[in-house]
Amino acid sequence: MSTRWDSIRFTVNGQPRTVHAPPMKRLLDVLREDLHLTGTKEGCGEGECGSCSVRMNGELVNSCLVPVLQAEGAQIQTVEGLAPDLDSGGALHPLQEAFLHCGGAQCGICTPGMLMAAAQLIERHPHPSQAEIREGLAGNLCRCTGFARIFASVVAAATHAAPEQEPDAR
Amino acid sequence: MRGDPEAHELIAPGNLAAVLQLLAAEPGAWTPIAGGTELMVAHAAGRLTARKLVSLWEIPDLRFIRVDEGTIAIGAGVPFIDLRRNAAIAAQLPLLARAASWLGSIANQSRATLGGNLVNGSPAADSSPALLAYDAQVELISARGRRTLPYEKFHTGYKRTALAPDELLLAVHLPRRFARHRQYLRKVGTRRAMAIAKVALAGTALVEENVVRELRLGAASVAPYPTRLYRTEEAILGNSITEETIRTARRALLAEIAPIDDIRSVAEYRRRVAANLVEEFLRELMHSAAPVDAPLMNAALAAWNSADESTALTQMLACCGARRWASAMVAMRPVQDQEALLAVADRIWAAMEEPDWREAFACHPRIGERKAAHASAPPSAQKSAQWSRQEQSGAAQAEARVLEELARGNAQYEERFGFTYIVCATGKSAEEMLDLLNRRLGSDRATELREAAEQQRQITEIRLRKWMAA
Repeated sequence: MSTRWDSIRFTVNGQPRTVHAPPMKRLLDVLREDLHLTGTKEGCGEGECGSCSVRMNGELVNSCLVPVLQAEGAQIQTVEGLAPDLDSGGALHPLQEAFLHCGGAQCGICTPGMLMAAAQLIERHPHPSQAEIREGLAGNLCRCTGFARIFASVVAAATHAAPEQEPDAR
Repeated sequence: MRGDPEAHELIAPGNLAAVLQLLAAEPGAWTPIAGGTELMVAHAAGRLTARKLVSLWEIPDLRFIRVDEGTIAIGAGVPFIDLRRNAAIAAQLPLLARAASWLGSIANQSRATLGGNLVNGSPAADSSPALLAYDAQVELISARGRRTLPYEKFHTGYKRTALAPDELLLAVHLPRRFARHRQYLRKVGTRRAMAIAKVALAGTALVEENVVRELRLGAASVAPYPTRLYRTEEAILGNSITEETIRTARRALLAEIAPIDDIRSVAEYRRRVAANLVEEFLRELMHSAAPVDAPLMNAALAAWNSADESTALTQMLACCGARRWASAMVAMRPVQDQEALLAVADRIWAAMEEPDWREAFACHPRIGERKAAHASAPPSAQKSAQWSRQEQSGAAQAEARVLEELARGNAQYEERFGFTYIVCATGKSAEEMLDLLNRRLGSDRATELREAAEQQRQITEIRLRKWMAA
């Protein structure tokens, strides 16, 4: 059976976009395939790992679990939207800087999702406690860092403190 | 992605009436989808059998939280993130707020809805034990009309519910009459986030003159669907809580539940844990058995118990500026009553060390001054400053001479000990505080540090009492 395709309009990183897609196509696939925003990654594809996290209307969501029709009219922010002027010499987002300095990223698959979850956390809790950081990132799995450096990155970004000195090698 | 998006139809009529018309026209043909945290997982795996789906996401008639005189009504389309952020739910239905905060992750809570959690019919549903313990009613709607039934009758079998093919779950209604009840909720899983319950238990109990007068126990993952534990309740009701009652309750529970072996756990483990949870709740009741006209659970305390972490922390920091103390207090939630809170506060304070004490001292203005040397976080600092003004009102009326002597004494004290002179100022005149200052200047540093910590303990206690009385 072949279903009707819909024209779906939404805003991605501040830009109005229209896509033509099957309504049950995952927002994740629309972002990557139709809009070529490949910063958002697919990990588990079942809402467990958080790699595909984006923000939709100000809330953190797993884009693998959003049928694109439900994004009609929504404001979407992806990892590309954290540093929108990067290509024209603009700065990284403070979270991205902190992840760089604190070793919060290794293989990079979880990183875009971690950044989006961290951005959501810091917006709601500008000075998060350790427990809040752990809860805010609990839906994002990393298999490289052991999480400690990711938590340190969030603390560094939240306090705008000078990044801590390089931790000892693992 | 094994599923084929083109194999499924999805429409979004955008309002409830249109959805109900659709369901009425072709009963059973359309599968409602809200936040997709269940159906989209099946879709990705190629296991989604529904071919025609109708979106309930952000239909205004399903997304509301309404506080009426006797009940709180929650629309089926309310996502869990809204439940945990709602002040009325946090204060009056704390078990539901906590269950919401345990569901999956933040990203799941943004999309998963209360209605979806129930309609899905999982035996492990996170919100179910709390709803059973709160005696919830569910309201169903179709083009034919509405009907209401007790939530405990909603599940009719494994993944089966009372919903007719043309019906939707419209709302959950929760009576607002549990303020005097002791409340319990525990979920046992492999980790705090993202885990599906191996066993979960919620309970509400009214204990009068040490006798259990009212009791509701709701459990998940011990039967084919979330269930009230009627026989266990019967074994306890009307009794006082003794070791014998606990033994009887455990036996009744083990006879009543029928958990299974599955990938998450085994039946035997679930049986033991379920019995342990019932016992834990009963022991809490035993230790907190209240006299007949026990006051309502303190409103400030109830709200704090289920507040989000940063709010809870801010409130504690206003009472005592030591961050380690405040975090430990927050970690002790839920705290049942005023006495328990004060006892916990003392216990944690006693475990603190010099840096914590000094951090707390620094949050008070010097006696006779207005501004603290150090402020923790703006909202707590503001409250703390307000309380300091009340506490030190004795100094506000002091003569200039006494104030000058206080200022000199403060400086001498700080030079000698390295921290601010701190005294529980409530009810003390400036002269008294000056006398105490001069006396304490004669102590050695270790003694004085202990003395200051004790003063801080008293200040914290007074502030906690004020906070709960507010």
